[in-house]
Amino acid sequence: MSDRTERLIQIFIDSFLPLLKAGVAFTIPLTLISFAIGFALAFLTALARLSNWKVLNGIARFYVWVIRGTPLLLQLFIIFFGLPSIGIVIDAFPSAVIGFSISVGAYGSEIIRAAILSIGKGQWEAAYSVGMTRSQALRRVILPQAARVSVPPLGNSLISLLKDTSLAAVITMPEMLQKAQQITAVYYEPLLLYSEAGLIYLLFSTVLSNLQRRLEKRFERFSAR
Amino acid sequence: MIKIANLKISFGDHEVLRGIDLTIEKGQVMVIIGPSGSGKTTLLRSINLLEYPTEGILSIGNSRLDFTPQTKPNATDILAFRRQTGMVFQSYNLFPHRTALQNVMEGQVIVQKKSKAEARIKSMELLRKVGLEDKADSYPHQLSGGQQQRVGIARAMGIDPALLLFDEPTSALDPELVGDVLKVIKELAGEGMTMVIVTHEMKFARDVADQVVFMDNGVIIEQGSPGQVIDRPTHERTRLFLSRLNDSVVQNQKI
Ligand SMILES: Nc1ncnc2c1ncn2[C@@H]1O[C@H](COP(=O)(O)OP(=O)(O)OP(=O)(O)O)[C@@H](O)[C@H]1O
Ligand SMILES: [Mg+2]
Repeated sequence: MSDRTERLIQIFIDSFLPLLKAGVAFTIPLTLISFAIGFALAFLTALARLSNWKVLNGIARFYVWVIRGTPLLLQLFIIFFGLPSIGIVIDAFPSAVIGFSISVGAYGSEIIRAAILSIGKGQWEAAYSVGMTRSQALRRVILPQAARVSVPPLGNSLISLLKDTSLAAVITMPEMLQKAQQITAVYYEPLLLYSEAGLIYLLFSTVLSNLQRRLEKRFERFSAR
Repeated sequence: MIKIANLKISFGDHEVLRGIDLTIEKGQVMVIIGPSGSGKTTLLRSINLLEYPTEGILSIGNSRLDFTPQTKPNATDILAFRRQTGMVFQSYNLFPHRTALQNVMEGQVIVQKKSKAEARIKSMELLRKVGLEDKADSYPHQLSGGQQQRVGIARAMGIDPALLLFDEPTSALDPELVGDVLKVIKELAGEGMTMVIVTHEMKFARDVADQVVFMDNGVIIEQGSPGQVIDRPTHERTRLFLSRLNDSVVQNQKI
């Protein structure tokens, strides 16, 4: 083996643990926390969009319009670099959580709204015909079916989010991409180190895909399709 | 006793029911017949309050709903009324994420607040009645159309309705499955269940109906015993409808 190859292998091995650590300490929690908060936000926004209350509907629409229409990176910049100028200083991690949650909330609300709308009128009517109120029908009949429809697109969002957390590198978060940058600065092997980080992202996203597949399987038992 | 008085319903400019008056005695079976688009489904849906009448009075037992073009009853009264009527849909509309048993239990547990144990006993009883005890744990997609429809009947019965509504309960079924469903409905009739049934099955109508109502174009043209309306109709439109129905039956049998 040439010296060069040996050196690359050594760098790869030495860097693996620090990169993985950055992933486990920052990338993963950032993803999961932001997704959980974002999902709750998405759900409420979807309900607001479906409500007959004009004001609520308008607020939800405005929120989705603004967040979908501007870059996520720019939103992070506003939260982390912009807000301090009006006296609101937020640390990098919570800044990132806020930015990502708001983003998931906006995109996710459209997924959930579409899933609810995809459940036929006949199901609402069947629920009403056994005496359910609107909220009982929603909870017991519509949402369980909408959940099944929305698992694949929400799985997509979760995996997108996992990768988008790398944007937090630019607001000083020591997550995986930033760690790879730091190590690169020491060894000058950008191709190797960024590929290695990519490999770990791939590892994480594969786990998430598998979770999604299992969830879909669980829903299959009541569906012919 | 169920009373419907001067019931009108419009969709936009189109007046689909144009003043319907009906009285259904307790334990009676009323069969509604009429050409496509005459408003039969709309009538059933408005009795179940899936469609709000523009005008008219609905009353069942002690509860009464008054609709006028300016006012409609409040949501609580509408809900209370609806809970006294059960609906069996043409396309079954079972809850696909629940087993047959759970479909029947759902209204009892969620709406009537029965304990699960109590609801389960009653639901198994109902499934036995419709001949589907052994399918209790099957999901709707694992059942034939006829079986699904019988679960639909059990589900509607589960909430102890004072009135059971059927909208062409067998018209989505393969011919060989129709009999099982009609048999269940006949048994319910025998037990004194009050029912309003929309159907094109004339032989079944003759067997089961106390009253037959012929509707056309949003009004009742004639009503009476099956013998009067089906065998000796007095109105030209009824005759025309029945002879066309006969032709199509004969044609179907030839094919
Ligand atoms: N939600 C609605 N909006 C607008 N028009 C409607 C609506 N529901 C029914 N209609 C119209 O009302 C009329 C009566 O429809 P309905 O479904 O009650 O007829 P039907 O007697 O049940 O016919 P069929 O035998 O074909 O089932 C039809 O002209 C139909 O187009
Ligand atoms: Mg109809």
